[in-house]
This record gives sequence, C-alpha cells and structure tokens, in this order.
Amino acid sequence: MIHMLLRVLGHEYARTMRRAMALMTITATAEGLSYALLVPVLRALLGGSPADAWPWLVAFGAAVAAYAVLRYTSDLSGMRVGTTMLRGMYHRLGEHLARLPIGWYDAGRVGEVSVMAGRGLLAAMSVAAHLLAPFVSAVVTPLTVVAVMLVFDWRMGLAALAGVPVVAAIQWWTVRSTAATDAERHQRDHEASGRVIEYLQAQPVLRAGGRTTERFTLLDDSLRGMQRASRRTVLAALPGVVGLTVVVQALFTVLLVLGAYLVLGGNIGAAEVLTILVLAARCADPLLSLSDIGGKLRGARSELDRLDQVLRTDPLPEPAEPIEPAGHDLELASVTFRHGDRTVFDDVSLSVPQGRRLAVVGPSGAGKSTLLQVLARFYDVDAGAVRMGGVDVRAIDTKVLMERIAIVFQHVYLFDGTIEENVRLGRPGATEAEVRAAATAARLDEVIERLPGGWETNVGEGGSLLSGGERQRVSIARALLKDAPVVLLDEVTSALDPVNEAAVHEGIERLMAGRTVVLVAHRMRTVQRADRVVFLDGGRIVEEGTHDELLRRGGRYAGFWEVSHHEAAPG
Amino acid sequence: MTATDLAPAREQPAPPPDAGTGSAPGMTGLLRPYGWAFAAVVLLQMVGAVAGLAPLLAVVEVGRVLLSPGPADPGHVWAVVTAGAAGLLVRLLLTAASSGIGHVLDGEVQLTLRRRLAARLGRVPIGWFSRRGSGEVAKVVGEDVSAVHPFIAHAPGELVSAFVVPLVSLVYLFAVDWRLTLITLIPVALAVAMVPLMMVPARLREQEEFDAAMGRIADSTVEFVQGIAVVKAFGGAERAHRTFIRAADDFVDVFVRWVRNMSLIAAAMQLALSPPFVLLVVLIGGAALITSGGMAPADLLPFLLLGLGLTAPVAALGHGFDDLQAARRAVSRIKDVLEVPPLPEPAEPASPRGHRVELRDVRFAYDDGREVLRGIDLVLEPGTVTALVGPSGSGKSTLVQLLPRFFDPVSGSVLLGGVDLRELGSGELYRMVSFVFQDVRLLRAPVADNIALAVPHAGHDEVVRAARLAGIHDRILELPRGYDTVIGDDARLSGGEAQRVAVARALLADTPVLVLDEATAFADPQTEQAVRRALATLDGDRTVLVIAHRLETVADADTVVMLENGSIVERGSPAELLARNGRFAAFWRSRRIAGAAGTHGGPAQGDEPR
Repeated sequence: MIHMLLRVLGHEYARTMRRAMALMTITATAEGLSYALLVPVLRALLGGSPADAWPWLVAFGAAVAAYAVLRYTSDLSGMRVGTTMLRGMYHRLGEHLARLPIGWYDAGRVGEVSVMAGRGLLAAMSVAAHLLAPFVSAVVTPLTVVAVMLVFDWRMGLAALAGVPVVAAIQWWTVRSTAATDAERHQRDHEASGRVIEYLQAQPVLRAGGRTTERFTLLDDSLRGMQRASRRTVLAALPGVVGLTVVVQALFTVLLVLGAYLVLGGNIGAAEVLTILVLAARCADPLLSLSDIGGKLRGARSELDRLDQVLRTDPLPEPAEPIEPAGHDLELASVTFRHGDRTVFDDVSLSVPQGRRLAVVGPSGAGKSTLLQVLARFYDVDAGAVRMGGVDVRAIDTKVLMERIAIVFQHVYLFDGTIEENVRLGRPGATEAEVRAAATAARLDEVIERLPGGWETNVGEGGSLLSGGERQRVSIARALLKDAPVVLLDEVTSALDPVNEAAVHEGIERLMAGRTVVLVAHRMRTVQRADRVVFLDGGRIVEEGTHDELLRRGGRYAGFWEVSHHEAAPG
Repeated sequence: MTATDLAPAREQPAPPPDAGTGSAPGMTGLLRPYGWAFAAVVLLQMVGAVAGLAPLLAVVEVGRVLLSPGPADPGHVWAVVTAGAAGLLVRLLLTAASSGIGHVLDGEVQLTLRRRLAARLGRVPIGWFSRRGSGEVAKVVGEDVSAVHPFIAHAPGELVSAFVVPLVSLVYLFAVDWRLTLITLIPVALAVAMVPLMMVPARLREQEEFDAAMGRIADSTVEFVQGIAVVKAFGGAERAHRTFIRAADDFVDVFVRWVRNMSLIAAAMQLALSPPFVLLVVLIGGAALITSGGMAPADLLPFLLLGLGLTAPVAALGHGFDDLQAARRAVSRIKDVLEVPPLPEPAEPASPRGHRVELRDVRFAYDDGREVLRGIDLVLEPGTVTALVGPSGSGKSTLVQLLPRFFDPVSGSVLLGGVDLRELGSGELYRMVSFVFQDVRLLRAPVADNIALAVPHAGHDEVVRAARLAGIHDRILELPRGYDTVIGDDARLSGGEAQRVAVARALLADTPVLVLDEATAFADPQTEQAVRRALATLDGDRTVLVIAHRLETVADADTVVMLENGSIVERGSPAELLARNGRFAAFWRSRRIAGAAGTHGGPAQGDEPR
C-alpha cells in the first residue's frame, strides 16, 4: 500500500513519509508503554494500599501528557505529509495530463479524468493519510502492550505473544483472498453500468419492441451478475473478519482461563492478573479494528490504482534534438496505424505539396478524421512515417509542430470565457485589429453584433450558449488568427441552416487560401475546390486523383457521389 | 487521526443524533419488504454486542471473588470464566450471522432497487431522458444504489456498537457506583463541549471557501480535459495547465489553512477521547474514592474495562456519518427517479380505426416553460408522405416525437385512427407507429436481434429481407459472425451503418405509421440512398411523416408543412407552395443557394420539384 502510494506520488516523498510513519510508531509505542504504569497503580489500588498509587498516578499523568504532545506532533506531521502529497499529486497529474497524446482522450476519458482529478484524488489522499495513523496504532500499540505483559508475567505474556503470528497470517490471507473478488466485482459493476446506459439510450426502441413490460433480460442478467459478484466479495471477506474476531476472542479467553488458573494456584497475585486482563482488553479493540481499516485501505487502493494507470500511460516522446521543418509539404509514407485491435491505416502513402489542397473522402468509419489526427501527431503511427517539410513529425518539437498547424475540428470546443478570449487562443499576442480582422473574415462579426455582450459575451462551458454554426465560425476565426501555414480541416457533416452554412463556407475558403490544406470533405462543392482527392475505405486509399478524373473513372468515388449528388447538386 | 480526516467530517459540523433517520421515510418505504430481515440484523447485532460485554463482566466478577477477603472459591471462578467464554462465543455467532444476513440483504435490496429503477425508467416519458445525460441517470442506478450499502450493511452494527453497548454499560456502571460513573463521563463531556468551537463563524467561512475551491478544481479539470485537443492544437497547453495548477494550489492552500485552524481543537478533542486520558481520569477518580474509603477496590475494575466504551458515541459522530450522509443524498436521488410520474396508461385501452393521424390544436412546452409548439393542427392521411421543413429550433423534432408519445402535449391532442394516443395502450401504439430518429443506439447484442428488436419473433428470412432493403445485408455478411455478430464485442459499426440497421428495424416492424427524421447525421451517401429506397418500397397505405433536410425528399412529398417558431406557416403540395412564393419558397431558394454556393455553375440536378 505504502509502496503503491509512493509509486503514484513519486519517491521524492519517501523521506517525509518515513518521518511521519516513524512519528506515528513512536506515538503508538508511547501509548502502549504508558499502560505499563497501570500495573503499579492497580497493584496499589487493588492490593489494599491505595495511598501508594498516587506517585504512580502522577507518573501516568506525565506519560499521558507526553503522549498528548507526541500525538499532536504526529498528527501535524501526518497533515503536512497529506497536504504536500496532495499538492504534489495535483502537479504531477496536471503535468502528465498535459503531455499525454491527445488520442488518449476519447469520449469516455473526460468523465473519468474529471472525477479522478476532482474528488477522487482528494479521497484517495485523505483516506490514505487518514488511515495510516489508525493502522500504525492498531498494530504497534497491542505489540507494545504484549511486551509490557511479558515483562510483568512471562507466562501470560507468552500466551498473548502466541496470537501475534496468527493475527498477522489472517490479515495477509484476507488481503489475498479479497483482491481477486474485488477485481471481479469491479468488472461486473463496469459491465452493468454499460448495460444501464445502453438500456437508457435504447429506451425508444426497446419500448417499441415492448421490451420493458417484461424485464429486459440483457440488463437484468447483468444486474443479477452484479449482485452475485457483490455476494461473493462479502463471502470472501467474511472468513477474514470472523477469523480475526475468533482469534482475538480466543486469545482473551485463554488469558482469562490462564489467569484464573495461575491465581487459583497461588502463582501470581490477584492484582497482577486483573491488571494484565485490563491490558489485554485494551488490545482487543485496536486489533478488531484492523479488519475495518483493511477494508477502507482496499477502497483507497482502487482509487490509487486508477491514478497509477493514468500516470503510467506513456506520453508521446519528445525528440532529444528537435529538427525545424524547412517547408510545409505533408507526407504519409507507408503508414500503418492501429487503434486498439483495429487497423485504421494499412500501408497508406500520400503527399500534399506545399500550398496545395487535398480532400479526403470516404464512407463513415473509413478513418478520415484519424488521418488528420495522425498528421497533427495526436497519435504516433505504428509503422511508416508522417513528415512535414521532409522531417518526421516525431523529430519535431511538439510546440513547433503545433505552431505550424491550424485545426478546425468537426466538434468545436470553446472554453468558458468570452468570445474574444476564445478567438485569441489562436494567437494570444495578436493585436486588436488582427483579432477583428480574423472575426470579419470568418463572418463572426455578424454573430458578435447580434449578441448582447458583443465581444465580451460569455460562451458558456464548451460553447453551449452558441449554436453549432456560430461555434464553427469562432473556430474558423481562431484558425485564421493563428495564421499557420498548414490547415487541417474536418468539415461538419451536419447540415447547418443556410445562413450559417454560407458563412462557414466563406470562412473556410478564406482560411484555406494559400496554405497547405488537408480537409475531410462531406460536401461535393468543397471537394471540387481541392487540387487532389483521395478516396479512403477500409484503411486504404482506394482511389486518388482530381475530382473530375475520378468522376470520369466511374469507380468507387464516382459511385459515392452518384448516390448523393442530388443533395449538393453543383448548381 | 491525522488532521486530514477532518475533511470528510466537515460536512456535518454538528451531527444531529437523527442524521440517519432524516431520510428514514424514503428509506423505510423502500425497505418495507425487508423489514423482518432488517429487524433480525439489528436484533442479532444487539444481542451479540451485549453478549460481548460478558467476558469483561467476567473479569470484574473474578476480581470481586479474588479481592474479597478469605480464600477464593475455585468453582465460582470457573463458572464465571465459563460464562465469559460463552458470552464471547454468542457474540461471535450472532454478529457473524448479523453481518452475513446484512450483506446478503444489502445485495437483495440493491437488486430490487435497481430493478425498480429500471422498471420506472422503462415507463417515464422518453422526453424525460432528453433533458438528462444518460450517464447521470446511469449513475443513479449504479453508484447511488451502491452508496446505500453502508445504510443497510453497516449502519445497524455501527449504531448498535455506538449507542446500545455504551447505554447498557452506563446503566451497569451507575448501578456499581454513580459518582465514579459521572467522573468517567468527564472526557465525553469535554469532547462534546469542544464541538461548538468547530462551528464559529470563521470556521464556517473556511468551510465555504473549501467547497468553493473544490468546485474550481472540478471546473478547471473538466475544461482542461475536454478542451485538451484545442488547447494543444493552439499551443495553449501551458495556459490551461496553469489554470488547473492554480486551482489545485488554491485548493491545497485553503485546505491547509482550514486544517491548521482546526487541528488544535481536533487534537484536543481526540486527546479527550483517547484511552490513556480516559484511563487517567478514571484512575484519579477511583483512587480518590478508594483512598477516602468511599468505594470497594473491586468496583474500580468495571470502569477500567467498560468506561472506555462510553466514548464510542462521540467518536462515532465523527466517522461513519460521512458515509451515511452520502447514502442519504444517494437515496434522495433514487427517490427522485422513482417519483418521476410515468406516462399514464389508459385503464381501458381503446382500439384505433385505421391509421389516420390527426393533431388538434397541439401545444407543447418543456418544463422550463419554453413553448415549442403553439397550436398545431395537422392531418396526416394514410397513403401520403408529409414533409416537415423549417429552420432549426422551429419545433420539428418535438412535433415528430409526439407521435410515438415520447411526450404528451400540454394541451390539445394527438389522435391515431380517431383515438387519442393517451387512450391507447402502449403495446398497441408501438404496433402502429415506428420511427427512425437521429441518434441510433444499437444494443450490445447480435445484429439479428438488433434488427428484430421491435418484432422479437421475426424469422431469420424476414430479418434478412429487411436488412437487404436497408442496404446493410452485405455489410453484415462481412462481419466476423454474420448476423450473429455481437455489436460492440465482435465488431463495431460506423454511424451510417448503424443508421441503416435502424432503417432495417423500422422496415421489419412494418407499422402503418412511420416517422422519420431524415437527420443531419445521414452523412454518408449509402445511408441516404438506403433510406430513400426504403421509403420507395413502402406500400401505398402508410402514413409517413418525415423531417426533410434534402430538397429531393421535400420535392417527393405529397404535402409539405412549413414550421416556424412552433406554428405552421404554410402547407400544401411542394409545387403549390413554390407557386405561392411565400415563406417556403424563400426557404427553398436559400437552401439552394447554400447548396450551390462556391460551385462553378452548371445545370441544377434533381433539386427541382417534380
């Protein structure tokens, strides 16, 4: 656990952590030792000379005071470790997230990472920090008390000592046996939550099939699976909990019986036996709390596991000696790219001379958008190379590469801020006039005029306060302002209303002028303006040429447009 | 305790003793069928916990025997020891049984809750989902139900050991010596007295700051992650990263300040409740009473053994309640979902005559009061295709969703075959109406099952015929296991392919009324073609309503309905409307210009009405 914590955190915290642990151990030992003073106190009180107890009581008071100081110090040190770790963890996670390949961030990640970086991190850290002291105390205090018992009566001490390995064995065994069922349970939960989402999203169809009046079996099966897994987890943990209780109770019984036997045989004074039994009772509670703490530690562990997985995802490697690309032509040389177990590109080669436009066309799922992402090095390819100006993108400093590329995504994400801030993101140092010019070129100015707050209008999280077409225009203005030599463009598939459609189209034309462009095209009129067209299907380039050539060839490309050419009829 | 564990405790600065019962009404309702089992869990736990006191009492009794003057009676001692051991055994058996039953019960309750949620979600208006993310609702069914766990599996045990055992001990100790009992309570009183110190205005303000800082972290994370592609593409990575780090640093600062201010009080409270301190107080009190001759030495023993347990309730207030609070919030979310009124089913369903669809003065507004449809009168005759056109936001999607009764109109009515949809059983309705909407959702199930979803007993041949018509048959044969391929596990389908499966689904359902959203997502030409072909093969008696995006569909329709701002502004045949040169004609022209913008001229193809 500690090991895991340190791996997630980085080993620079090992020292602070060890110091805090040492303090906690000292505190727990002090608590155990202070109980040693109970023996003379009780011997006096129970043995008929109560007045003798006072000096010992004063000593005990002093011990308690010392314990209080130690405990406060150790609490403070625990807090310091906790908060230092928290800060370190945030920094580490933040830095790591910023360096991960963009390809890593698929739709599901957003939620996962948000939860992790928010409450998850705090929970993991605070639980870890918060469980450490009770855990140390639950282990160390009883051990110290056993030592004290050994000193006062070796027979009863030995009996107590015999329990130590048994308790340790049970703890170890519980951890092992529950780990497997925990994993299974997690898997089941995951599956069930997938089914629930499916059930919710498919409601209309399910109802149409009358599938909700009876139980929807796919969902019900996984809900039952979830219950069975949870039951197995409980059954796996139960022997550990019960076993620990049995051992602790058996130990106490043995001490009780042994004490009675010894005292009846006159081998030991009544006061001593009673004192030892009081001490033994003192050990039982912390020991019993071990199984509880163990359960909580497992919970913290799974949070840490998730963090660890993210932190162990390799970021895209940066070149040791970056090369500046000389030109801005683009090239894919025998590129093979796999995403998961799916081969997205199988030996794809293409090139775009500087200042030319390449249109990418193909059925949905052909990998068109991925092609743009590979060009921008959101992913690294598995074989072959992606080059800009003749230089492998992996040899170019990411910052330099990004400076050369402007991307217009199909789904525009705007930051919660003003329109101006969002446009300015393209080039933070741009002058007022440049920002205005970019906006005008993207026909964003007419949107801004209409908005109540003008340039200062807040766009809401993700740009939710603007319509799709308006967001597109912001995104185009941003790209225009960036004024990068290479433009990667993912044309929106969805139909915009006519006004936005025309505005977006105009903006895109301006953006493409004079630049090296790769665009994923969904509209025939956009394709017609390209210098070259590739038709992508099944991870390969099926056809390549100019629009007219390909139409004349009467192959896949021509067939593709034939079925839909009514729509964007060249008017 | 390290000071950091104040964080969870912070949410209930003054935990009222009834923190658990606050949600009891909702919870008891849900738990009623399990009342007996729940009672058994509590009872077993209670008896077991009290039996757990037996060994301690045995020590006390042995002490009395041994410390009394004169020779000890071995028989008596052994009897007491045996009783103590027996008590331990009883405790072991009963608490294990209680915990076992509790966890099994917990599993049952969770399953029941999830089934009830699923059943309710299967009956709420479909429109209800559109305003909530499915992730959010799924969280209620998944995580929130799981969060009930401590309520059922742990609460009885913890409450019993926190309250019943100390209470029994207290009564016993009072019977032994009331003065020393009061002294033993001093640490508890000290700890309770410190609670108000944690709630002075400054502390409360810090708590608010803490919450606010936490919120900022969450926001900056969402932005950081969601916008990562944009951020990286525009070289803003460092900036967004800085925002995140700043939020994190702020948060840690607030946290440190808050913990530091709390730590002294917290430490004092912890010390007051710690075993060494309690023992010290008991011993001082006991020594004073014994030396003054006011108490028998043997009477000190029960205080040493049971006195520590008296602090349990106060300690329990700090811990455990966090889980219970979380459970309470989860239960209220579960209740919210269970209380969503389902679409009412008619007591005596009527049967429609024919499949003429009629909308009579239909008005519809969403919960926020925004009126989307303002008095729609519309008749869809069997055997005709009606195309719905209009700018985005004009209410087209809402209107078509009224036909499969995703929503009920606020006023007015939708009639099918002369019967109000609300008078129609839902089974009957779905035998009459099928639909293909924008967001196609395929199930993680074989392709054939996905197509046959609405007609579970369809034969394989029928499924294949529908797939052929929808232009997806060949693609399915290419999948690893053909029609048995499990979507999602064995293979994935592209958006367009999923659309075609949906079309096949609708074709197989073969209902007399078909509602189509010829949606924006029909991106790839094959899918468009499939839809068109499917529409063409339908026999002549169907009632078809389609939200048309392509001019060709509009041109082919029998009737065009132009919607603007929730009202029908024009209706008629496409040719009529163009001739009228009104709103529709203007809309048509703007579309054509948009469609033709940037092209080089040439003859218009296919977008003239025929």
